[in-house]
Amino acid sequence: MSEFKKERIEHYETLLKEIWTASAKYLGMVSVNLLIERVVWEVSLEYKEIELLQYDQNGISCARIAAGLEENPDLPVQDMFKKFITRYVAILAKLLGHERAEEIKNKLKEEVAGVSFSCREE
Amino acid sequence: MDKLITGIKNFDYILGGGIPVYSLNIVSGAPGSGKTIFVQNIIFNSARSGLKSLYLTTISESQFKMVRHLQGFEFFSDDLLGDKVIYGDLGFVLRKQGTDKALEYLTEMIKKHLPNIVVIDSFKAIRDLFPDEKTFKAFVFDLAAVLSIWEITVFLVGEYEEQELTLLSEFAIADGIFHLYGQEEKRFQKRFIRIRKMRGTSFEQGEHLFQISPVGIEVYPRMRPEGKELRYEVKQGRKGFGIPDLDEMLSDGLSEGTITLISGGTGAGKTIFALKFLLEGAEKGEKGIFLSFEEPAAQILNTARHLGWEIDRHLAEGRLDIKFISPVELDVDKHAFEILDMIREKKVERFVIDSISSFENSVSDLQKYKDYLWALGQQLRRRQINTIFTAVNDDPFSSLIVSKTQISLIIDNIIILRYVEDNSHIKKVLGIMKTRGSYHNKDLREYEITPNGISILGKLDRADMLR
Repeated sequence: MSEFKKERIEHYETLLKEIWTASAKYLGMVSVNLLIERVVWEVSLEYKEIELLQYDQNGISCARIAAGLEENPDLPVQDMFKKFITRYVAILAKLLGHERAEEIKNKLKEEVAGVSFSCREE
Repeated sequence: MDKLITGIKNFDYILGGGIPVYSLNIVSGAPGSGKTIFVQNIIFNSARSGLKSLYLTTISESQFKMVRHLQGFEFFSDDLLGDKVIYGDLGFVLRKQGTDKALEYLTEMIKKHLPNIVVIDSFKAIRDLFPDEKTFKAFVFDLAAVLSIWEITVFLVGEYEEQELTLLSEFAIADGIFHLYGQEEKRFQKRFIRIRKMRGTSFEQGEHLFQISPVGIEVYPRMRPEGKELRYEVKQGRKGFGIPDLDEMLSDGLSEGTITLISGGTGAGKTIFALKFLLEGAEKGEKGIFLSFEEPAAQILNTARHLGWEIDRHLAEGRLDIKFISPVELDVDKHAFEILDMIREKKVERFVIDSISSFENSVSDLQKYKDYLWALGQQLRRRQINTIFTAVNDDPFSSLIVSKTQISLIIDNIIILRYVEDNSHIKKVLGIMKTRGSYHNKDLREYEITPNGISILGKLDRADMLR
């Protein structure tokens, strides 16, 4: 795995941890994990590797994704994580209302800039 | 907050626009109270708006029977089945694979169909499949969490008794509780819905009548007096009867937008005075409705023709409408609401209820009758409808009694019709007891009703005639 990709994964892991903590404040850990489970399932329809994301009551980890990247170095991790985060925040906006989601979105800075808060039916 | 519009007549109004989306709602009630039809009506209406519903039966009614029973309703459509309305059997999974697999099955069904609404019918029936209350509680909690994360509005249907609504664990996690129940009144088997709880929106409290018709569920919101001060613009105009002497006694007619009570014994002419008021309006191009609970429309027409009034012309030209509702069939919960609908639709300016005594006789609860009348009065006044209520005085020779119940508070003007005895003759006498905010003549005047119409005669000049 290239040093660049490794750095990107570490960067996304930091972001996901921030999201996890920020949304657990509103949803609670059980619901946050259920939400991650939902988004993992949705993103896995395009990127199966997202199923390697580890999450439980203690937090979230990309260690297995990083390990998996050794076998599949061409995986477009950037697109996969962007889709994950975009979808996560979009659902969060529907569940919590745009104000709360905006607070979380602001924490993610430029990574999720321009996220469209659309629901699945729209 | 986004709302799920149920599309059920008047129900969204009660809910302040609809049910908050992603809420978990319990629809409770005894068997036969209309729970399943209520929820099915919502999901088929939602399907027409493009929303998808997953309806999971458990161990109560079979899907086959349910669909068969629904076919008689207008909201039902075969075309929506399988695409927007999907049925599943959660009961089978629970029985064959155990309670542990229920959430797994539910999640799989959600992933497969991505529904906006999930219904579990009956939810109460699956309680017994769990080994203990603690396990069921955990299941309820997990279920609520899963469904909310998938942006689903949930309806859990169950045969819960009213006292269970505060005891069982599922009610603690519910955002909304709709309780349906029936009640026997004098002549009707009535159905009511009460919103016991609804997070995230204000709603009209109390019991609301509903009926199950071929259309589906139709709700009639409870008519209730408003607590807040009634504010409305006071109009300066007058509305006459077209009976010169009476209008003169009233200082050129009744104040515009007021409610008038004409009280009198049987045969005194209450109906005729009230009808004349509408006909005078019709002559001036004002629309009027005569709502009769006493005489059928044909009888009222005959009376008017006999008096030489051009009632047929006004009916044909749409300025006058006569509605007859048999007092035997009168259901105030329903009709009070329909009255206001009718007034709004037809842009009515003059309105008569003949008589409110029939209202009184049709309700078992006198306080409810007063509330209805008060609320109806407020609504009519707010809309500035010139209204006449007639009331039957059981003792035609009595002193000036207005009505058994204390309704005069909602009445602006009171006209009394009564009989007097004079030298072995029965005479009719009219008096104006009250006109709010304006002067009126205090004389008691004789009157007669002849084929030439209503004539106001001289002042009653002998006190001994009033006995």
